[in-house]
Amino acid sequence: MTQSFVLRANERGHNVIYSDGPASSYVAGHPGGFISRESSFNFHEYQDGRPGFGAIRVFGDETFHGAGCGYNMHPHHNFVICAFVLDGELTHINTAGRGMVDPLRQGDYYVFSAGSGGKHCELSIGPEEMNAIYLWLMPNQLFLPPTYHRAHFDLRTRRNRIVQLVGDAEGALPVAQDLRVSRLVTDRRGTFTYTPRSPLHGVYVFVAEGELRCGDVTLSRRDSLGLSGTAAIACDAADTTDVFFVETVMPDQARIDLWEAAGGHDH
Amino acid sequence: MDTILKRLICLGCGFSYDEALGLPEHGIPPGTRWTDIPDDWVCPDCGTPKSQFEMVVIGYAAGEPDLARTA
Repeated sequence: MTQSFVLRANERGHNVIYSDGPASSYVAGHPGGFISRESSFNFHEYQDGRPGFGAIRVFGDETFHGAGCGYNMHPHHNFVICAFVLDGELTHINTAGRGMVDPLRQGDYYVFSAGSGGKHCELSIGPEEMNAIYLWLMPNQLFLPPTYHRAHFDLRTRRNRIVQLVGDAEGALPVAQDLRVSRLVTDRRGTFTYTPRSPLHGVYVFVAEGELRCGDVTLSRRDSLGLSGTAAIACDAADTTDVFFVETVMPDQARIDLWEAAGGHDH
Repeated sequence: MDTILKRLICLGCGFSYDEALGLPEHGIPPGTRWTDIPDDWVCPDCGTPKSQFEMVVIGYAAGEPDLARTA
C-alpha cells in the first residue's frame, strides 16, 4: 500500500538561532549573526511535525547569515550527518580519523559518520550567506569507527539525469545504512523516473529549486513529498529544477518483533 | 513484565543510553531502566531533554559495546 505525505515549504518547522544571547556558545559569528533553519522533521525546538521518515531523522534547510556564522565545535555519536552545499561556502571541521578542515562550495557534499564519537564545526567564514541541506540518518550499527567522505556534484555536466550522490553506486559516497541520496538538476523540461531498490523502501523527494510534478501533486521550491509502497516514481520536472531523492529503508515491524522475542540481544 | 533491556538515542546529538550498561560515570548504575531515570534528566553531551530520546533496535558494531561503556 502506498503511504504518502506532502510537506509544503511554509509548513516546515522554522527556527532562528542567534550568535548572541542564550545560544552564543553554540552559534558562531559576530553579534547579529544568525542561523535560520527550516526543518522537515521534528528537531530541537520544533516538535509539532513528523518524527522522521525511515532512517531519516533530520532534514534541515539551513542558512548561515553573517560573517563567521555557524555551529561551534560540538560532539556527536552514531548519527550519520550529511551536508549538501547549495550556496555560499561552508567550512567544515571534524575529528574523524586525523581530523580535517574542509571548505565546501556549491555542489560539494559530505557524509560524516560520528559513530563511536566525533566532533564537528560548521562555519560560513565570509559575509555571504551559506545555504545547505543537512541530513541526519540513523546508522545500521552503533559505535562504528567515525568516518568522513566528501565529493563534488558537478551541476554543469551532470544535468537532466538522476545521479546517486550517497549510497552503493560506483562513485557515490558510502553510508552505513540501507539508504541512497540522489539528485536531479535540469535545464530543460523532462520526465524522469526514480526507481527505489524495492517498493518497501520509502522515498523522500525535496525540491530545492524549480517545480516537480509527481502524479497529481505539484511541488514548488522547497516543497517535499514522502512516499512508500511504490515501485517507481514518475515525475515531470520544469526546466531549471533541482531535486533531492532520499531513498530509505522503512521500519520493519516483523524484524523488531523477532528481535524482542529473542530477548533484545544482538545476533 | 517487559524484561528486554532497551537502547535509546538522543535525537539532539546521537548520544546513546543502554539500560544494560547504565552511565556509571554519571551516577546511573548498569541495569537502570529508562523509566527509572528522572523526567528532568538531560543528555550529558548536549542538554537535550529526556523526552527527545528515541528507543532504537540497532546492534553495536563488532567489538564496540566496550566503547559504549566509556564513550
